[in-house]
Amino acid sequence: MEALELCYMSAGGLSRLVQSREVSPVEIVDALLARIEATEPVLNSFITLLPEEARAAARRAEGEIQGGNYRGPLHGIPVGLKDLFNTAGVRTTSGSRIFDTFVPKEDCTVAARLHRAGAILLGKLNMHPFAYGPTGENQDYGHMHNPWDPELITGGSSGGSASAAAAGQCTITTGSDTGGSVRIPAALCGVVGLKPTYGLVSRHGLAPLSWSLDHPGPIVRTVEDAALTMNAIAGHDPMDVASARVDVPDYTTALTGDVRGLRIGLPKEYLEAPLNPQVSRAVRDAVALLETMGAVVTEVSFPMFNQSQAISSTILMAEAAACYRDLLARDGGSLYPPVRLRFEAGLFVSAADYLRAQQARSLFDRQFRELLEQVDLLAGPTEPVTAPKLLATKVQAGEQTVGTVAALTQYTRPYNITGSPAIALPCGFSDAGLPISLQLAGRSFDELTVLRAAHAYEQATDWHARRPPI
Amino acid sequence: MPSETPLPREAFLSLAAAAGLDVKSPHIEELYPFVQTTLASLHPLMDIDVAGAEPDMAFIPLGAITVPKS
Repeated sequence: MEALELCYMSAGGLSRLVQSREVSPVEIVDALLARIEATEPVLNSFITLLPEEARAAARRAEGEIQGGNYRGPLHGIPVGLKDLFNTAGVRTTSGSRIFDTFVPKEDCTVAARLHRAGAILLGKLNMHPFAYGPTGENQDYGHMHNPWDPELITGGSSGGSASAAAAGQCTITTGSDTGGSVRIPAALCGVVGLKPTYGLVSRHGLAPLSWSLDHPGPIVRTVEDAALTMNAIAGHDPMDVASARVDVPDYTTALTGDVRGLRIGLPKEYLEAPLNPQVSRAVRDAVALLETMGAVVTEVSFPMFNQSQAISSTILMAEAAACYRDLLARDGGSLYPPVRLRFEAGLFVSAADYLRAQQARSLFDRQFRELLEQVDLLAGPTEPVTAPKLLATKVQAGEQTVGTVAALTQYTRPYNITGSPAIALPCGFSDAGLPISLQLAGRSFDELTVLRAAHAYEQATDWHARRPPI
Repeated sequence: MPSETPLPREAFLSLAAAAGLDVKSPHIEELYPFVQTTLASLHPLMDIDVAGAEPDMAFIPLGAITVPKS
């Protein structure tokens, strides 16, 4: 099989070939490493690449599979981890030179579970420093570049993960999502990003940003791959104090293609917010397609959506400042200046403000849950715009000029506030050839419904099969 | 509380010093307007009627059973 086809094949597709021994993990790793060599000078997706380690792991996997010891769908499948996921013996920088030589002694829980599933660690992926930004800038290791147009941002903070997935550099990647950092880059790079329910995937061994808002999750090219990854990484972890004790289903059972009777709500406030008309049209078309497939679509109202930025920002800023207070005092001058300013501004959020935001959060969550009694999912754009230019501070969203950070987090922050599952998936392209993304969000721990709707839509379209021109 | 009134410079410097920031550093001149803008963006929080609402608790004691929200 041609190497580029291996690079763009989904984990689901590769796993079937690996299991039947038509393709070896060694071939897959070699193909990806060649693809990385060809594209990395432009994209800068990786902070640390592990070619020899990956080849050795691929040979081991090949031996195990040939010996009849097949572990499952991720056996022999390459994975890249955002560089705040601790990896034993492999430096983990959080995207900052401050931690350039930090080498964890232990894997984080996500890395350990992927390893146990037989996945092969290809490298550590570039990110916005400390995950504290939605654009994918990185002064220390180089900015990330969008595979659809390298003059544009990938989005962040898991920018390297999304660009690696979109460009066929890596089959499965992981990110972390505090205000949108899985879904934003997934949307801008035209791939799938799932923010699971809070507590479903362990945060143990991840550098935190905001304890009550951080959600690890997969960034991949298909919804099936999101389900396969979740099968490996979801589930209770006693090492994470917020880890949920819930039964974890087989997420691939959601991949039925059937959305008949599924109730989808489209909040009117989403379409009233600053929004590019091409994005609006593509998202409406996507929802209309789901309706032709049997879903029942209604307009709903989510009034507190308009307060989500203030609620989320207050919580995030206070928690992030508290988390990194000592580092600020010690190494503040070494931080990327925009990130330093955000950390320091959090020191001015009072305890009363923070608690007020948490009060508002519980009201916000109650309104969201009441909505999710009327419908099964909320739909809307993941992003109000397509990828902005690198370092742009403002974007044009419809008729309004909006700050880039506010725009990129406009539709994503609500689901960090509620902790509910939300997936971003491609739903079209702008006239300029840039990805547009649909976001579907559901009830807590109902990833099955979110994945079912996302998969059904994906399989009825070909957006996910398109490749960037790089 | 996030007030509609911009944070006065003296109050900003006092809070910055209390937070351990170097108020003599040139960086403070960059931080001041950023903090003012940021705090202003949080004003909508004061428009939310939170009477009677308990804060969502971030801490879950070890060993607690977490029940999926219905």
